[in-house]
Amino acid sequence: MAFVAAAAGCLLRLRAAGAERHWRRFRGVGLARGFLHPSATVEDAAQRRQVAHFTFQPDPEPREYGQTQKMNLFQSITSALDNSLAKDPTAVIFGEDVAFGGVFRCTVGLRDKYGKDRVFNTPLCEQGIVGFGIGIAVTGATAIAEIQFADYIFPAFDQIVNEAAKYRYRSGDLFNCGSLTIRSPWGCVGHGALYHSQSPEAFFAHCPGIKVVIPRSPFQAKGLLLSCIEDKNPCIFFEPKILYRAAAEQVPIEPYNIPLSQAEVIQEGSDVTLVAWGTQVHVIREVASMAKEKLGVSCEVIDLRTIIPWDVDTVCKSVIKTGRLLISHEAPLTGGFASEISSTVQEECFLNLEAPISRVCGYDTPFPHIFEPFYIPDKWKCYDALRKMINY
Amino acid sequence: MAVAIAAGRVWRPNRGLSQAAVLLLWRPGARGLARSHRHRQQQQFSSLDDKPQFPGASAEFIDKLEFIQPNVISGIPIYRVMDRQGQIINPSEDPHLPKEKVLKLYKSMTLLNTMDRILYESQRQGRISFYMTNYGEEGTHVGSAAALDNTDLVFGQYREAGVLMYRDYPLELFMAQCYGNISDLGKGRQMPVHYGCKERHFVTISSPLATQIPQAVGAAYAAKRANANRVVICYFGEGAASEGDAHAGFNFAATLECPIIFFCRNNGYAISTPTSEQYRGDGIAARGPGYGIMSIRVDGNDVFAVYNATKEARRRAVAENQPFLIEAMTYRIGHHSTSDDSSAYRSVDEVNYWDKQDHPISRLRHYLLSQGWWDEEQEKAWRKQSRKKVMEAFEQAERKPKPNPNLLFSDVYQEMPAQLRKQQESLARHLQTYGEHYPLEHFDK
Repeated sequence: MAFVAAAAGCLLRLRAAGAERHWRRFRGVGLARGFLHPSATVEDAAQRRQVAHFTFQPDPEPREYGQTQKMNLFQSITSALDNSLAKDPTAVIFGEDVAFGGVFRCTVGLRDKYGKDRVFNTPLCEQGIVGFGIGIAVTGATAIAEIQFADYIFPAFDQIVNEAAKYRYRSGDLFNCGSLTIRSPWGCVGHGALYHSQSPEAFFAHCPGIKVVIPRSPFQAKGLLLSCIEDKNPCIFFEPKILYRAAAEQVPIEPYNIPLSQAEVIQEGSDVTLVAWGTQVHVIREVASMAKEKLGVSCEVIDLRTIIPWDVDTVCKSVIKTGRLLISHEAPLTGGFASEISSTVQEECFLNLEAPISRVCGYDTPFPHIFEPFYIPDKWKCYDALRKMINY
Repeated sequence: MAVAIAAGRVWRPNRGLSQAAVLLLWRPGARGLARSHRHRQQQQFSSLDDKPQFPGASAEFIDKLEFIQPNVISGIPIYRVMDRQGQIINPSEDPHLPKEKVLKLYKSMTLLNTMDRILYESQRQGRISFYMTNYGEEGTHVGSAAALDNTDLVFGQYREAGVLMYRDYPLELFMAQCYGNISDLGKGRQMPVHYGCKERHFVTISSPLATQIPQAVGAAYAAKRANANRVVICYFGEGAASEGDAHAGFNFAATLECPIIFFCRNNGYAISTPTSEQYRGDGIAARGPGYGIMSIRVDGNDVFAVYNATKEARRRAVAENQPFLIEAMTYRIGHHSTSDDSSAYRSVDEVNYWDKQDHPISRLRHYLLSQGWWDEEQEKAWRKQSRKKVMEAFEQAERKPKPNPNLLFSDVYQEMPAQLRKQQESLARHLQTYGEHYPLEHFDK
């Protein structure tokens, strides 16, 4: 698993502009054609690897939390973890490969700073990681567990659903594991295929007792992660891995909280409501611009942020205003979380709807490798669905 | 050529010697090697040397092809202190527990036995929905509980009620949980025998098997970090030991150096599945060394053997921050639960043997009698008294109402989410119209 992750990281780095510079150097040196030489066909878009399907849009620099620093997503996570371990002497971080800094560098420097009893590797065993974390939390200490990829969370499903989620309820509040937070890289990354791209939030949405949170940006991530860690309920925090390096913005150095179970209207509009979470928020933001430009349509864009318990009121209030709803996520369509939102909204806002609720999601297939550009709910699919809704 | 090598692997010293992890930085003339002569040494990394260099194992080469034969014919021996007639075999192993303590052991086991009989019967009569007895395994509960501190945290599976009994959990609360009545601290949410008690450091039982094992390890790790001088004990059956969570728990406990006692009740059956279909190796104790865990097998029907092993394991687990595995051999005299009829898969003769010839309660009684600390009269009086106590608690539990249906909705989260409150209100409205179809008269208003 570590090898693949390292390879994944390696590939991510190759994607960067540095790769272009590397090829240009060889051209001038006169190496034999065809040997490590970018052939003419590389210019052909069909051969060249795809660029990202979204453009990260940073939020304006936050002013109310003190001094800020430019951080990318993994650095904002490190910052949140650093703040947590500084504030809470019981807090510990554990999982596979977290000691050296983690396969996505989220825990770099923390072991040196806080000690090997607080930041440590576990054996390669997700059910053990989560079970162990629950046990720490039962004693009242703060447990921050990392599952290396959300795709590998399933061995821990029993511990999460049957144990963590039900601990307080089944014991009549004698015991709980509220101080457990599970963090995990989530979502498509361009080449992750079946087992490095999944978005499993829907499996957990069906489980009362846990909270599931997904940030869209470094600033959101730090505030939401801190809230998860401090929340008195077990939380799963999914981190969009494609944003780890690609998303960078000004993030406060000091700790701050962003409330859970509160969706954010990041852009107001009047004609259609767009709802997404994580990376997909940036896709629908761009769709909102396209709609404005090409169709003169005004979109209200909502980042759901917490999947359960979700902010029904904000979404319904918006749909009552606009009359149209489009929900988009990478996870497969059937049983995806868009179904829950759609079902609730049609119950609460039936008479306000001007068109059927639209879901633009991944197909009902495992996440493919080479076909990723066709699989993902990109801006064109969202735009097309929006257009159909407007013309309904 | 001077070779300065930072050992990439932290070397683990032999168990029983120093617990300090030794990071070896080898330079010619370094004193480190001389000082660590009692510890296993990592070899200098040199191509001239023929010794194995693999980071994954500390072993010599062998040039003979030989498979290790697993020894299941004569497995790990079973430690015992008393014979089947309750006589001490080796006097130096007698823990010489004071009379009050031995009487407490005896009374806990017999009171549990009495409560089991009455509650099993009450299920047959339809008064409670379900029950699990502890027949034959009472020795494993009280022997281990007596060796712990009262604040040591207990994670159980479901057949450890004697631990709570020993810790003086009141009959009223046992019954309250089984009846799911208004006094149940669990607020009526779980099936009978899913006890929990914060005051007595007994984590609430859950039905999924073996899930408690890695949790217990985490709790032990936290206790170590807090310098709590506390051990965590984790009970499970030989069947649950087949679950992945057991493997996870053992491995984590060993690698993360946790002060935990893994206590396996090997009672011969997992519902109908005999041990011959549960594992093919030498039981559970033989797995311990595979993980690097100190292990022992004991006679679970010998309260003193269980006590001695647990006592020593506790002392060392806390002092040395390492896990201990105790496999207590015993026999499940009762059915798996009230949903089981074990005559379908085992003979009545087999069950009778254990009930009559090797029972923890009888063996301790013989010990008590031989010490002159008990007699027939006291036995008769205690039986009458314990039965009366149980019957009183039972009748009271039966009369109490069930908790208010609003408690269906609380404690899902620490705070009630808005959507759940809406569902709670919707049930309240539903009951206003359709309440006659629901057993509201038995529930608290």
